[in-house]
Amino acid sequence: MAKTILAVDDSSSLRQMVAFSLKAAGYNVIEAVDGQDGLDKARLQAVDLVLTDQNMPRMDGLSLIKLLRELPDYAKTPILMLTTESSDDMKQKGRAAGANGWLVKPFDPQRLIEVVKKVIG
Amino acid sequence: MTRKKILGSHVKRLLSGVSAHGGRHLTEVETDLMQTERLLEEAVERLTSSFMAIHHTVDARQHTINLLLAGGIPTVEDSARLTAMSGEISQHVNAAITSMQFQDMTSQLIDRTLKRVTGLRDFLDTLDAHGGALLPDTGNDEIVDRLGKVSMALAIQSLELRSVLRKSVNQQHLDSGDIELF
Repeated sequence: MAKTILAVDDSSSLRQMVAFSLKAAGYNVIEAVDGQDGLDKARLQAVDLVLTDQNMPRMDGLSLIKLLRELPDYAKTPILMLTTESSDDMKQKGRAAGANGWLVKPFDPQRLIEVVKKVIG
Repeated sequence: MTRKKILGSHVKRLLSGVSAHGGRHLTEVETDLMQTERLLEEAVERLTSSFMAIHHTVDARQHTINLLLAGGIPTVEDSARLTAMSGEISQHVNAAITSMQFQDMTSQLIDRTLKRVTGLRDFLDTLDAHGGALLPDTGNDEIVDRLGKVSMALAIQSLELRSVLRKSVNQQHLDSGDIELF
């Protein structure tokens, strides 16, 4: 059965690109428009991987990760940040919040798929 | 210090502060707009290149397909050529996807510029409001007091503006970014 990925980003074009790339590789993709939407959707359906942006309205990526890690279903779910942020300070915050990886935008679809395969198969 | 000197000193500090504040922010506006322009130029260049490459490869593939439809039996070479062309198209599509992410980055840069411009306008509104409270017969002591208050108000606004203007987009080009697994 195909694995499911929750893609969280306030940019609709970015979500389209991510969904297009991952669906082409055989994954199911659920899209969320910001951290709050991501949290709501994650609660409705358990996913195999969360891919989230950082800078979003209502709730940012770090806040989303911290709240997801408090949910029993998401204690061990891989969570990757996909963001324009590249500073070591932000990466450390991401790691401390519970992220398992950090991808700096723009992403290359082939490399994204390789990382996702490495993380969830 | 005489009253005149105190007043002069306050006016000088306020004018200097406003000038420095405005200058700093306008320099950042310039930087962000130039970065946006560079990213847009590169995006258009790369997308044009991807589009042309995809068009060329699809054309070549169609030519091969037409030959097969006319002739009938594909050779091993035909099959290999078509497979290679599919691979080429995927590569060009991937390159286009990477370039199309310019929208996300430039949108963040423009948003930052808009916040800054709004903040500067609020700054000028504050100056105007305090200035409006000064009347022709306002005494020097009151003017000094008001200048102190407007300087304080502007300092607070300046800090508030800085807090919402963190730069999150440092990309100067559209090369794909680093990946790190913790």
